[in-house]
Amino acid sequence: MTTSPLKIGLIGAGGISNSHLPHLLALGAEVYVYSEEGAPDLVARYGGTVVDTLEELLDLVDYVDVATPTFTHFGLVKRALEAGKDVISEKPLARTDAEASELVALAASTGRSLYPAHVVRFFPEYVRLYEAVKSGVLGDLAVLRFSRSGAFPTRTPWFADRALSGGIIMDQMIHDIDIARWVAGEVTRVSAISTRAGTPEAPVEAAHVLLTHASGAISHIAGLWGPAHVVFTTEYSVTGTLGSLEHSSAAEKNYVANLAATTAQGGLLPDVDPAENPYFVEIREFTAAFAGGPAPRVTDRDGAEAVRLANAALTSLETGQPVDLTETGK
Amino acid sequence: MSFAHTHAGGYVELLLADPTVTLLASDPGTHPEGELRGRAFADALGVGYVDSYEELLAWKPDAVIVTSENAHHREHVELAAAAGAHVLCEKPLATTLEDGKAMLAATEAAGVMLMVAFPVRFASTFLKLKADYDNGLLGQVITVRGSNNGKLPVARSWFTDPALSGGGALVDHVVHIADLLEGLMGAAPVSVTAITNQKLHADRAQAETAGLVTITYDNGVIAAIDCSWSRPESAPTWGGVKMTVAGTNGTVDLDFFGPRARGLDTASGRPIELPYGPNFDASLVGTFLDGVRSGIPPQPDGAVGLRTLRIVLAAQESASTGGTVTIVED
Repeated sequence: MTTSPLKIGLIGAGGISNSHLPHLLALGAEVYVYSEEGAPDLVARYGGTVVDTLEELLDLVDYVDVATPTFTHFGLVKRALEAGKDVISEKPLARTDAEASELVALAASTGRSLYPAHVVRFFPEYVRLYEAVKSGVLGDLAVLRFSRSGAFPTRTPWFADRALSGGIIMDQMIHDIDIARWVAGEVTRVSAISTRAGTPEAPVEAAHVLLTHASGAISHIAGLWGPAHVVFTTEYSVTGTLGSLEHSSAAEKNYVANLAATTAQGGLLPDVDPAENPYFVEIREFTAAFAGGPAPRVTDRDGAEAVRLANAALTSLETGQPVDLTETGK
Repeated sequence: MSFAHTHAGGYVELLLADPTVTLLASDPGTHPEGELRGRAFADALGVGYVDSYEELLAWKPDAVIVTSENAHHREHVELAAAAGAHVLCEKPLATTLEDGKAMLAATEAAGVMLMVAFPVRFASTFLKLKADYDNGLLGQVITVRGSNNGKLPVARSWFTDPALSGGGALVDHVVHIADLLEGLMGAAPVSVTAITNQKLHADRAQAETAGLVTITYDNGVIAAIDCSWSRPESAPTWGGVKMTVAGTNGTVDLDFFGPRARGLDTASGRPIELPYGPNFDASLVGTFLDGVRSGIPPQPDGAVGLRTLRIVLAAQESASTGGTVTIVED
């Protein structure tokens, strides 16, 4: 770590800020929080300093962490890059392909770093998968399955608005879309089907996405935003010519309580080991890179590509046909 | 009729154990070298044997079980129907729509019942799911994901000869979960998308060895099936069938062949896995016999076989054209 603390501006005080602010502070950063709402409560919970305007924030800090709703990422990240800041952006990097591309180009032209917070790359079970694939122990990958299930995020209304959030594919399944591409390589074809039911107060949404990789490997990604009681779970099953690897968060438990009184796990975020919290590892890797450390495991181009694949899936929902990414070009 | 399918041995053992049933078998023709077939297989099982289907049907059986190569199902079902015998046909019903329709027409014209051997729907776990579904405990079902993964079938060479099997992993493994969805919801499949490759068992593969399929149904449900032959020959057990069903009231996970005692071989460190649980084939055969005795046609019938075949054929078309295929039932 650096001797003089990083000065970081956190924009947004919603759900995911609870997984960023304490880690930024734990890493010794000086954190200023700007949000349209909720900043005083967030700072009261963890620490940091509330600032009242975005201008003030950008004047105070060297780095910016954008943890706001999806549809605002583009404008805020653009503003921060133009102000000469290195930026962490919550995923998805942007809502549209054009916006994501523009941010990548802007980071390059301003010479600033832009890191999309694809936190699943920092979860140890997915790190094991990546390492296993890269070591060659699984051989040439053939078929991959990923699944992610939890409660529908109803705490703020924008998640339910597909125009704003991109729905479950852009918000939740983009994690596994990124992981599939991380381990099995570039994607040439995308198809998707999706469904939604329930009531406006208690919606549920699900989708299946199929990916064909340039290598010939095939991936299935399943996403579920279920009713409020559904516990957050993830699974993967990856088979190559030399071996297979699978993981189920529900099966791999190192603490199973059967107590009269217990703290139930929520349905919005995965259960993590606090001694190796993936959000902490992620923030540590990004801030270390800001301070001159090695390049993080995820780049702005990865973030833009995940957005492009998720949008291709959304296009497939509309057309009812797979989207060939080799024709549309990169 | 025929010992081509490896399930034939299991059916013979079940029927020989039933004192109310007399059984005769035939498996004429020249058989692949190294495969125990014909009279030798009958002798090994201790079942009566005749050299031709003419002799078998001249015996005037009340019912016939067809366990020939997939591409020969039509011929044998038509022979049995013409002889006035009720038929239990191994899955898949056929390898072409034309054959499937002809089989339904032949059995209907002869006034005999046609049942298709989908044993997994007789699992008590499925019956429990069906009861929960019918009682509304799942709410409105929105999504299903299933996997039916096994080893490359090597005990009988025809399984990997598309001319006899009708294809690869798609034709072998999609139908089980398709049948479970049919048994659960009775909804009509609307569109099918499939991606495949031949990376696994590439030395023996003459058709796809891995496949991922998504299906939309007319009740709004979306489903995904992994049908890959992704278990290595060295695996301790053949594979399994898993399914997750999610609705507005929550999720149910089923692992039809999951429960097992586990250990390790001291010398090699390889896993010892000893699965347990009821034999679904016993309920399947029992249901068929009940149908034959009562005259009440048992499920799953030929119409289910035809509907699940349409899904397979659409998946094959999708995999070859790269497009999503719409199913039109006529």
